[in-house]
Amino acid sequence: MSLAALTASNLRDGEVVFWALGRWAPRFADAELFDDPELGQAALILAKAQSTVVVDPYLIDLELEDGIAVPTSYRERVRALGPTIHPEMGKQAEGGVVIQALRVHSGGARSSGRLGLIRLKK
Amino acid sequence: MPMLIEREGVTAFTEAVDTFVRLAEDEAPEADHTDLLVSFARFQAEGEGWLAEGRRMGVWLSAVEPVEGLAYDLPRISLVALEFAKFRDGRAFSAATLLRQRYGYAGQIRAVGEVLRDLAKDMVRCGFDSFEPADDSTPEQWAASAFRFRHVYQSAADRRAPAFRERMGEG
Amino acid sequence: MYRYDAIDKSVIEDRAAEFRDQVARRLSGALTEDQFKPLRLMNGLYLQLHGYMLRVAIPYGSLSANQLRGLARIGRTHDKGYGHFTTRQNVQFNWIKLSEAPDVLDALAEVDLHAIQTSGNCIRNTTSDPCAGATAEEVDDPRVWCEAIRQWSTLHPEFGYLPRKFKIAVTASAQDRTAAKVHDIGLVLRRNREGQLGFEVMVGGGMGRTPYLGTTIRQHLPVNHLLSYLSAVLRVYNRHGRRDNIYKARIKILVAALGAEDFARQVDAEWTAMDRQAVDLPDIELARIRGAFGYVPFADLPPVSGVFEAARKADPALARFARNNVKAHKVAGYAIVNVSLKAPGEVPGYGHSEVRVTHEQNLVLPHVKLDDLAAVHAGLTAAGLAASNINLASDIIACPGLDYCALANTRAIPVAQSIARRFAEPDVAESIGELKIKISGCINACGHHHVGHIGILGVDKKGEEFFQLTLGGSGAEDASLGDVLGPAVAYDQVTPAVDALVEAYLRERRGAERFLDTYRRVGLAPFKAAVYADAH
Ligand code: SF4
Repeated sequence: MSLAALTASNLRDGEVVFWALGRWAPRFADAELFDDPELGQAALILAKAQSTVVVDPYLIDLELEDGIAVPTSYRERVRALGPTIHPEMGKQAEGGVVIQALRVHSGGARSSGRLGLIRLKK
Repeated sequence: MPMLIEREGVTAFTEAVDTFVRLAEDEAPEADHTDLLVSFARFQAEGEGWLAEGRRMGVWLSAVEPVEGLAYDLPRISLVALEFAKFRDGRAFSAATLLRQRYGYAGQIRAVGEVLRDLAKDMVRCGFDSFEPADDSTPEQWAASAFRFRHVYQSAADRRAPAFRERMGEG
Repeated sequence: MYRYDAIDKSVIEDRAAEFRDQVARRLSGALTEDQFKPLRLMNGLYLQLHGYMLRVAIPYGSLSANQLRGLARIGRTHDKGYGHFTTRQNVQFNWIKLSEAPDVLDALAEVDLHAIQTSGNCIRNTTSDPCAGATAEEVDDPRVWCEAIRQWSTLHPEFGYLPRKFKIAVTASAQDRTAAKVHDIGLVLRRNREGQLGFEVMVGGGMGRTPYLGTTIRQHLPVNHLLSYLSAVLRVYNRHGRRDNIYKARIKILVAALGAEDFARQVDAEWTAMDRQAVDLPDIELARIRGAFGYVPFADLPPVSGVFEAARKADPALARFARNNVKAHKVAGYAIVNVSLKAPGEVPGYGHSEVRVTHEQNLVLPHVKLDDLAAVHAGLTAAGLAASNINLASDIIACPGLDYCALANTRAIPVAQSIARRFAEPDVAESIGELKIKISGCINACGHHHVGHIGILGVDKKGEEFFQLTLGGSGAEDASLGDVLGPAVAYDQVTPAVDALVEAYLRERRGAERFLDTYRRVGLAPFKAAVYADAH
């Protein structure tokens, strides 16, 4: 089973956001999870039309860490957390189980962060 | 048909009517097409004849076609259209500068392609005097963008006094 | 410090107003992101991993105390209270909101700072010697020429949309502190036999995925023709540089493709045909610029300071600081103080209210009285900024890497921190001596890894952070590009690998040889053996 989420950056303030049932949420914990690729694609099409709200929406691969969905790619986990050198800064500051899962998850690729990109690269 | 903006005098811009008929590569001009705008290749092949018929000629140069190719014909050409295939392709700025400064070309230089008002200042400074904006700019918006800066640092084809001349009390 | 006149101020104010208008058009949807992106980049605004990053130019690395305070204010009001100094004498804020960016530009303009052309395919901030105007080595003050270039390149109508970015460095000292040979144009100011000032012009240096050292295309360009000659180089590049492939678009590829000789011929042809008088600054303007830097009111002092000599004998920490961070000044009784930022803290004010930013991501107080050195050292110590490690193993260049940068493969800052911790013991670091470690989080090479004595490049290996090591690079006057040591090592193996390299060096070194010199003498083999025996 494949699992994905939809992410982008807010146009106005640049904040990392995640698609949550038609809205954009700043916390990865609130992201809508797509286990059906078609639903993810449909959301992506809607997101791409919101060019005055977000910049560069794209789908990301997820996998499970102790039952909690987290991005496969290290890069996307850093986006969902904040700078690793400033653990008190950014989204990670508020802590919680999902933040913890994002932190401990290991492995995973930068290059598999963005769905579709890997195939292009090869 | 996009709007055509032309420079009028030093700081004014007006909406103009485009008298040049843009010929497709396989299209022959009608008898009443007095002003023709054609590709460089077509101008080379057929320009002589059209000029002899008394038509005014405009030549469209893509970014890879060097202005040097027109050098000898410039006195007989009424319009050079320089293409911005993408607005971030800055080759046409050098092309216009050379036309004005090296070849002393006095005819019209028109910016075509992805022409945004954010480039108005640079285009005007490099010697463009006619514009086909791709962003629905009005002549007023064009003028505001072109002269937004109260001072400039470089001398360029527009002969605007650069800062170092202003500081010497010139201009 | 060059003082802006009304014209200089008007340009940055007008630019800020223009950007305010462009931001409004983007927010309203009148500009698409594709159209807006190059426009915001030309004002130094990137969309990075966590938000917008604003890169502010520090022209040739020179900042007044007031400007530094202005930057601090912006950091507090619009950011999270800190910034990053880059290898090109810029400073970056990492948490700027697009909607507030115009206000930030206004705040910068209030202290004569701006973000003009700090990104985009245009002529970037000109970098120079942080010791300019203070070192006895220089033949002339390079900042005068940098300022001439700053004005000429600012919003140049012909060269705003080049095939790719364009970086110029100017140095006037034999010891090159600007990495001039890895710039698109490196200018070295010299006097010829007749005593006339001229520039050696090197073109086509650069890093990234195909690193090159610059080639000299002119030995002695008369200084008063600097701007027309630069215009000729830029015109040839603007017209003929490749635009079909972003990786082949830098001037270095054009120079390599044509050959330096043919490139120089084309530049000369362009230069000869150009109306130089219209472009070159008249002497009176050059004199005005020189005068606008003002004069530092140096006191008449003896070359040796009794106060300082006594303090240095009494305080070993001060003695160490003086050994590593303090350099000779051209004026008797003064010194140049390097402030290492490779330690946390804040910067106090000393040294004629001027601070320089170095390409090695440190600061320089250019004019400190020897008599004041002990007090400066005490102030720096109190602020946690007295690390006596300039050019030592813990004085590492690192790019932002994956903690901030949207293009990164790997992190860079934590790698630097780990290595710095390993060599934190000052006696150990000093016994190793000069060792320049440089880290980039991807092949774009913002951390200058190609020219590190030890270079570290982050690569993505099947989704994990790996690091390729290179040895023997140098960005100084003896410039060279590093050689790849061998297979990349994992994140937690980098510090042990560097450790092994240093051990191998200590075994091999003869006398006072630097790491770089030992490497150049013995080659890769002993280093290879050391790392791959240990790390695997
Ligand atoms: S080297 Fe790569 S990771 Fe580092 S700042 Fe440059 S682009 Fe980003």
